Amino acid sequence: MEKRQVPPSPQPQLPTKREGELRSRAREGFLPFYTNAFDRVFIGAVILIGIHLLWLRFMEPALPIEAATVISLAVGYYVVRRG
Amino acid sequence: MRNPRTGWLLLSPTLIILLIFGFAPFLYVLFVGFNQWNVFSADDGLVFNGLDNFRRLVFDDDFLHSVGLTTRFAIFAIGSQVVLGFILAQMLTRNFPGKSLFRIIHTLPLMVAPIAVGAIWRLLVIPGFGPVPFFLDRWFDLTYQIGSYPDQALWTSVIMDVWHWTPFVTLTMLAGLSAIPREPVEQAKVDGASRFQVFWYVTLPFLRPVLLTTVFIRIMDAIRTVDEVWMLAGGGPGTRFTGIYIWRVVFPRTDYGYGSSISLITLYLTIVLCWLLFIAISGRRKGEVE
Repeated sequence: MEKRQVPPSPQPQLPTKREGELRSRAREGFLPFYTNAFDRVFIGAVILIGIHLLWLRFMEPALPIEAATVISLAVGYYVVRRG
Repeated sequence: MRNPRTGWLLLSPTLIILLIFGFAPFLYVLFVGFNQWNVFSADDGLVFNGLDNFRRLVFDDDFLHSVGLTTRFAIFAIGSQVVLGFILAQMLTRNFPGKSLFRIIHTLPLMVAPIAVGAIWRLLVIPGFGPVPFFLDRWFDLTYQIGSYPDQALWTSVIMDVWHWTPFVTLTMLAGLSAIPREPVEQAKVDGASRFQVFWYVTLPFLRPVLLTTVFIRIMDAIRTVDEVWMLAGGGPGTRFTGIYIWRVVFPRTDYGYGSSISLITLYLTIVLCWLLFIAISGRRKGEVE
């Protein structure tokens, strides 16, 4: 009886150097998901705009808008460094 | 072909077109958003006014109301489309008599221009002429007037959008379902998984990228809906969505600066919404296995 040829099983592909670099850039900070540098800058920008809009609506009679800029820059810096 | 320079060379026509027709207008709108520019005012040129447009916007009840309406419209329309689209796509993976004819008829609304969809639905629901108010009145004794009742106008807009865009969701879901390998599904069935468990633990994770892309496209479309809803209700109560509000500010009132600032905030809300959804669905949350 002729023996059937078993096809070789595919070998698991190792990540390329570029993929490895991209994966290593994602990191775990205080945010509830993995982020890379672009994500953290993006979240900082979203928070900056959000704080300014909320400030204009609720806080401006009490404190000037520059206070919102200082707070949102501080929050943005914290997100970029530790997020 | 793996040379990065070749890749950039091949991409360059698209990038140049995107820069000219996408990014440059965005920068211009950004610039105009920080200026007062009304061609019918005493000073009809651009006058820098800092954050005044945004200050006006956060206290503008009409704008905030339009954001609320658009959100309700988007949630109900997209939710219905995803559920219906998935059911229809599941149905289309099986064989049944008249399947080809059904697929053609089902895809027809996709080929109709949004302005024509609005016109068709306007003819269906116009009081004293359309069949929908006539039969609702005769059979159920219901008064149906989208010009007088905001809720009826909103729900008619949702149903119209579902009628128009469900085929698109069905087609993308069908493509996603067809790409799912059979082995994991059969393996789950052999292991004794129920139909719901197969759907939840096998089908849905495989469908995740398709679902994400479809919902992204639909959110962006729903937030900028203008033409079909305008044709249906003429911007009446219950259908004053953000797109229609921007149109009213920019064209009849010619308040370009304020209109630009509303456009920028609408873009901001769209991006934030899509990003939150991306994080929720894409599996980048901690503790989830890719």
